[in-house]
Amino acid sequence: MKVLLVDDEQKFALMLAKRLALRGIEAEVFFSGEKALETVEQGHRFDVAILDVKMPGIGGIELKRRLGLLDERMKFVFLTGHGSKTDYTTGALEAENYLPKPLQIEELIETLNRLTEGPPESSHRDG
Amino acid sequence: MMKSLNRLPWAIWPRFHRNDDEHLSPYYTFQDYRQTWGMTIFILMSTALVPLVIMTLIYYQLIETSINTESLLRTERLASNARRAVTFFLEERLDALTFAVNEMGYERLTNPGRLSEVLRNLKLGFGGLTDLSVIADTGTQVSYAGPFNLEGKDYSNQPWFLECQQHNACVSEIFSGYRDVPHIVVAVKSVRADGRFFVLRATLETERLIQALSSYKTGEHADIFLVNREGLLQTPSQFYEGESHHMNIPVPAYSDRTRAVMSADHSDQPILIGYAFIDTNIAPTSFILMVVKQKAGMMKVWLDLRSNINWFFGVSAVIIAMVITLTSTVMVNKIFQADRQKAETMVAAERNCQLASIGQLAAGVAHEINNPLALINETAGYVKDLFTIKQQYKEDPELVEHIDSILDAVDRCGTITRQLLGFSRHFDVQTQPIDLNDMVTDVINFHKKEAEYRDIKIHVDIPETIPLIETDRGKLQQIILNLVNNAFQAIANGCFLDIRAEMDGPEQVRLFIQDNGCGISEDHLNKIFEPFFTTKKEGQGTGLGLSITYGLVQKLHGNITVQSKTGQGTTFVVTLPVHIQKEIQS
Repeated sequence: MKVLLVDDEQKFALMLAKRLALRGIEAEVFFSGEKALETVEQGHRFDVAILDVKMPGIGGIELKRRLGLLDERMKFVFLTGHGSKTDYTTGALEAENYLPKPLQIEELIETLNRLTEGPPESSHRDG
Repeated sequence: MMKSLNRLPWAIWPRFHRNDDEHLSPYYTFQDYRQTWGMTIFILMSTALVPLVIMTLIYYQLIETSINTESLLRTERLASNARRAVTFFLEERLDALTFAVNEMGYERLTNPGRLSEVLRNLKLGFGGLTDLSVIADTGTQVSYAGPFNLEGKDYSNQPWFLECQQHNACVSEIFSGYRDVPHIVVAVKSVRADGRFFVLRATLETERLIQALSSYKTGEHADIFLVNREGLLQTPSQFYEGESHHMNIPVPAYSDRTRAVMSADHSDQPILIGYAFIDTNIAPTSFILMVVKQKAGMMKVWLDLRSNINWFFGVSAVIIAMVITLTSTVMVNKIFQADRQKAETMVAAERNCQLASIGQLAAGVAHEINNPLALINETAGYVKDLFTIKQQYKEDPELVEHIDSILDAVDRCGTITRQLLGFSRHFDVQTQPIDLNDMVTDVINFHKKEAEYRDIKIHVDIPETIPLIETDRGKLQQIILNLVNNAFQAIANGCFLDIRAEMDGPEQVRLFIQDNGCGISEDHLNKIFEPFFTTKKEGQGTGLGLSITYGLVQKLHGNITVQSKTGQGTTFVVTLPVHIQKEIQS
């Protein structure tokens, strides 16, 4: 499973990537939406994108829209700094996966696994 | 007294008379409702009663004048009629004598028996004659017809005889003469064939004259009589006889026509006097006809009317006063109740807004804290992972780095919580010196993240020359927070927010909060500080933010104005005193 991790909180992003790595999940870290978009535009493919909702420049929601245009099979997990999901479920996003910060790592792993266990086309990319 | 009155129901002692809600008073439209009530009643009473009083007084005067005029006219008419009667009485007899003198001449008149015949005929024709005599130019009576034997009497010194010599005829005053019976002498002069004159004289009974006068008497208080020009009574007076047969009111000034005047009698009672100087067409007389009426008697109609007017005025005034008092009381009370409701709503809204800003603050802080907490979580989780998954923690330099990372994140949380504590503590504080720059920076800090996300440039320019402001920290903080919130809602991403300050004289500071957002249309600009005014959709804004901000600025003895142009942005200008004078009500 290849994971794209975008968060402007640099230390947090790096630390999360390390924890995912310990669990056998390879995550490429970006500190801004623009950089992540650039990489995907260059042809890099990811199974899941973990995006922080609020970021300077391109925010998580806009980034999801643009990444979705580039790779329609990409799945998304959102991280929110706000304690509650409800703030965002009423916004531009349809029902997706939201995880509040601070994260429960098990919950994130479970969500990632659930998302990648989907159709067989995506599963053959695993590993 | 007040206590017992307070227990009465409000209809009698209305609600606004008890100003027992000090905390609401800053929101009332009128400072003192009791004063407003008093003023309302005073103004309404004045406008209603003053014209009524003036109208009544004018009416009084008008009626009194017209009644006086009418009374004078009536008295004058009465005097005129009586004058005609007296004049006619005298002229008739003078004419008869003139006729006799011219018809018969001296010779025939002195012919014995002839004079008695003339007297008899005259008595038949007119009546009222007592006797008749012919007097030679020497004053000696040469012929006499009548009940008394007065032949040979000398009249040369009698005033009527002297007057008769001058004029062709005369009318004497009423006098008793030789026979001691009141009578009038009328006489006409004629000339004999030898050129000497003689006089035909008649004595008239006064009874008929007095009767004729009495018939003109009207009413209880009227008196009608004759006086001579010295005021000596010629006929009896019922009310105005003074000492030695003189009337006790002054003799009126001469007038050739009948007149009526207002005067006062000897006891200062107002009277109306109608008078006429009586002259016959043949001879002048010394008679003055007097018609005297007591004004009081004539004024009864007026007094009745005045009593009616007084009653009407009194009752109207009482009704007007009652209606005005009741209406004012009810209206002022209604305004008071509405105002009170508004004030209560404002107080509640301010409280809610305070709570809302605290809630907003808490949410902002929670969001801010979440980021370092997330980092702590990940770092601590990673350290735990190292322990549980990797089993190789000993002498691992990476571990120390992660612990530092945890400590750093905890430190970030600490900074935020300190700020939060500082912010909440300020709500209790009253006046204290405040650095405007610090305060603006504090407030901006809570919007920093949002500004970053939305690419809003915040520029703060508060020069160091701005002194410390002595004011209420919590309120000022809320004012700035509300205005910044307001600006953030008004501006689109990528806009700017400019906060600057300058001195306005030595005692005032002006704080400008300027954005280049959507602006406010001109018709909205007037209402922007009104409570419950909002341009947001229903349910999205309470419309209280700016209204409460306005109230808070007022409480700090300051002033807030707004300038805006649609599409170009809005500037709020808050002017605050450097030193606040009065203790601020919280």
